[in-house]
Amino acid sequence: MDRRSAMKQLALLTGGVVLIPACDFSEESILQAHQNLKITASQKELLTQVINTIFPGKVLKPSEELQLPDFVLVMCNDCLDKEQQETFVSGLQQWDAFSKEQFGKKFSQMNSTEAEDCLRTALTMDGKEEEKKSAIGFVNTTKRFALQGYLNSEYFMTEIKPYELVPARFYGSKKIENA
Amino acid sequence: MANLNINSKKDNTYDAIVIGSGMSGGWAAKELCEKGLKTLVLERGREVKHVQDYPTTNKMPWEFEHRGAIPEEIKKENPVVSRCYAFREDAQHFFVKDQEHPYVQEKPFDWIRGYQTGGKSLLWARQVQRWSDFDFEGPARDGFAVDWPIRYQDIAPWYSHVEKFIGVSGNKDGRDNLPDGEFLPPFELTAGELYFKDFLRKNYPEREIIVARCAHITGNKEFYAKQGRALCQNRTLCQRGCPFGGYFSSNSSTLPWAANTGNLTMQHHAVVDSIIYDEAKGKATGVRVIDANTNETTEYYAKVIFVNASALNTNLILLNSTSSRFPQGLGNDSGVLGKYVAFHNYRAGISGEYDGLKEYTTEGRRPTSGYFPRFRNVYKQETDFLRGYAAGFSAHRSMITDYSGIGEELEQAITREEYGPWRVGSHMMGETIPKEESQVSLDPNKKDAWGIPQLKVSMDYDANDEAMIKDYLEQMTEMFEAAGFTNIRTRDDKRAPGLDIHEMGGARMGKDPETSVLNKWNQIHSCPNVYVTDGACMTSTSTQNPSLTYMAFAARAVDHAVKNMG
Ligand SMILES: Cc1cc2nc3c(=O)[nH]c(=O)nc-3n(C[C@H](O)[C@H](O)[C@H](O)COP(=O)(O)OP(=O)(O)OC[C@H]3O[C@@H](n4cnc5c(N)ncnc54)[C@H](O)[C@@H]3O)c2cc1C
Ligand code: SF4
Repeated sequence: MDRRSAMKQLALLTGGVVLIPACDFSEESILQAHQNLKITASQKELLTQVINTIFPGKVLKPSEELQLPDFVLVMCNDCLDKEQQETFVSGLQQWDAFSKEQFGKKFSQMNSTEAEDCLRTALTMDGKEEEKKSAIGFVNTTKRFALQGYLNSEYFMTEIKPYELVPARFYGSKKIENA
Repeated sequence: MANLNINSKKDNTYDAIVIGSGMSGGWAAKELCEKGLKTLVLERGREVKHVQDYPTTNKMPWEFEHRGAIPEEIKKENPVVSRCYAFREDAQHFFVKDQEHPYVQEKPFDWIRGYQTGGKSLLWARQVQRWSDFDFEGPARDGFAVDWPIRYQDIAPWYSHVEKFIGVSGNKDGRDNLPDGEFLPPFELTAGELYFKDFLRKNYPEREIIVARCAHITGNKEFYAKQGRALCQNRTLCQRGCPFGGYFSSNSSTLPWAANTGNLTMQHHAVVDSIIYDEAKGKATGVRVIDANTNETTEYYAKVIFVNASALNTNLILLNSTSSRFPQGLGNDSGVLGKYVAFHNYRAGISGEYDGLKEYTTEGRRPTSGYFPRFRNVYKQETDFLRGYAAGFSAHRSMITDYSGIGEELEQAITREEYGPWRVGSHMMGETIPKEESQVSLDPNKKDAWGIPQLKVSMDYDANDEAMIKDYLEQMTEMFEAAGFTNIRTRDDKRAPGLDIHEMGGARMGKDPETSVLNKWNQIHSCPNVYVTDGACMTSTSTQNPSLTYMAFAARAVDHAVKNMG
């Protein structure tokens, strides 16, 4: 029996269901995020395209395999305040129009090189200007959560930079080879 | 009917009652049970069994829905507990949420609580430094509070007794103001910390960095195996509960030990409302308990009662234990009960970088840090403020990653490992002076869900604390600069008292019943079969993390109680 089923069984036995916090983000949280933020299928597709531009999977696994779009939405739904959420959602809604206006082409219609140029420029733009606030807020939040999700993904933390649950050692002065 | 009552009275009678199963109550229970007393531990929270009830303990970072972060909604509803550094997704279930147990803040006070088996001992940072006579003699020398009725020699054997059992990793540093104890092998200082230690030795010979003593098992395996505990494996995920029992908690250590004697009865969801005082007998005879779920009231009886509900909750219980003999709260003839509470000043910190030691880094994880024992006003008064501060100090080699790009550039960047400078940091742990106006009291109107008055808290920083913050930042900046650290940043986060989680006093020990609540054995002067051995007993705060001292008081008081039991 794996640990999760074991925990579930334990919860049933003890009636202590409330003691078991959600594990990986659950189907339910994903659904809730979509509902609360009112994300349409086409918006989800656009968000996915933005995230794929951040992590295209040229060196590492592509972002979709890590379920990053869902992770970004769950984090937006659960860990941002109302105002930040509104900025994110309206930025996402405006994103195609914004990119058309600033870069002459809808983001959804750009090829990967164009999309990368567009996003790179947008990420350096000053989001304080009122008409840019939402769009710039949206891309920055998306990048922040996508990065967080990537660095903390099972894939990254086992295959790229392995995380040790039980290091069983501490050395205060370790010589670095070829320092 | 009469028979029933007699039976239930008999069923509800024990040799000893301990209120609270946390760090100090766990110790009282262990000692009482070992000495053969049938002991009832009353715990208001739910049961948390060692290992079995640590639901997050073996989770990987990616298994947390929000990768550790606390969702906004919980933060908004619970601003106080959300300010605690350890209130994260992995350990949030061991904290009291603001909403669940409201209290009244006459002045801002962040009251951090854990209501469950083990109390806050599951969550603590495990730092355990002994007091010395430079601490116990503070009030007498500097003219504040009242003189402690004990000195280091009175408690030293009990420090040893506690340290041996809980397991304390530390180095024998030979310092007179931070006495050595019964130590298991120390964790290493880092190369950066050793550099600073050496710098101090040459430039500030009376100042020293040592490795902080911490309640982790680093040796003597066979001895701790008897408690079902194993060597610490350097996970530094202790706040989730440790599957190895590598750090000390009541859950992993004292409570199972007490249970093994066959003398322990644990009662959960048992909210102690008050202690029953029998006017005719002239002593306390038991406690009144409200069932947290059913609201039903039950009385339990015992010859001796230990109050270990954590400093402020102990004050609440005593204040709420009124009788015609004690209209102002149990043992409160002097009127000082609830007064002279104090805390530790954790407001200031400093950080910087060190560009040297390029060929070194650290490896693995260390569940403690460096420690700066107090150097101000130790041997004599030398500043314009009273007392002083200890400080944490740590130095780690940083790794730098450029997260600025996107696409292939970003993917390349996050796979690379590049060493940055050493990062150094420190935070202050200042002594604060207990004052009469620093008080906790019962709110005359507001009650909790069980009809118990809510606690009203009123304490604040004063000019002495402000002067100490200034001095800490000046001294640390001066030393950091002289040591060649750069990018030095100081901070005063203006946090409210309480976030130090070292609130103390209110039922202070003293020689004189006119000015104190407890005598030198932690007995209430005027009701000596009640012992208070948690933070409420503290006459002054000094700078050291206090829980080791609470545990030593608890063990010492049980010894006294049992020897004097008729
Ligand atoms: C994040 C964190 C880090 C810390 N780091 C350190 C450290 O490094 N070093 C250090 O010395 N200290 C540290 N502390 C503080 C330490 O945890 C406390 O000093 C210690 O737990 C106090 O022990 P106690 O027995 O008085 O209270 P607790 O451990 O809090 O236990 C009190 C128990 O009493 C129960 N209770 C309360 N009221 C009632 C009632 N009316 N009826 C029945 N039961 C009741 C509670 O539910 C609780 O279980 C830290 C605390 C936290 C949260
Ligand atoms: S650092 Fe040690 S005590 Fe803490 S969780 Fe890890 S193994 Fe357990």
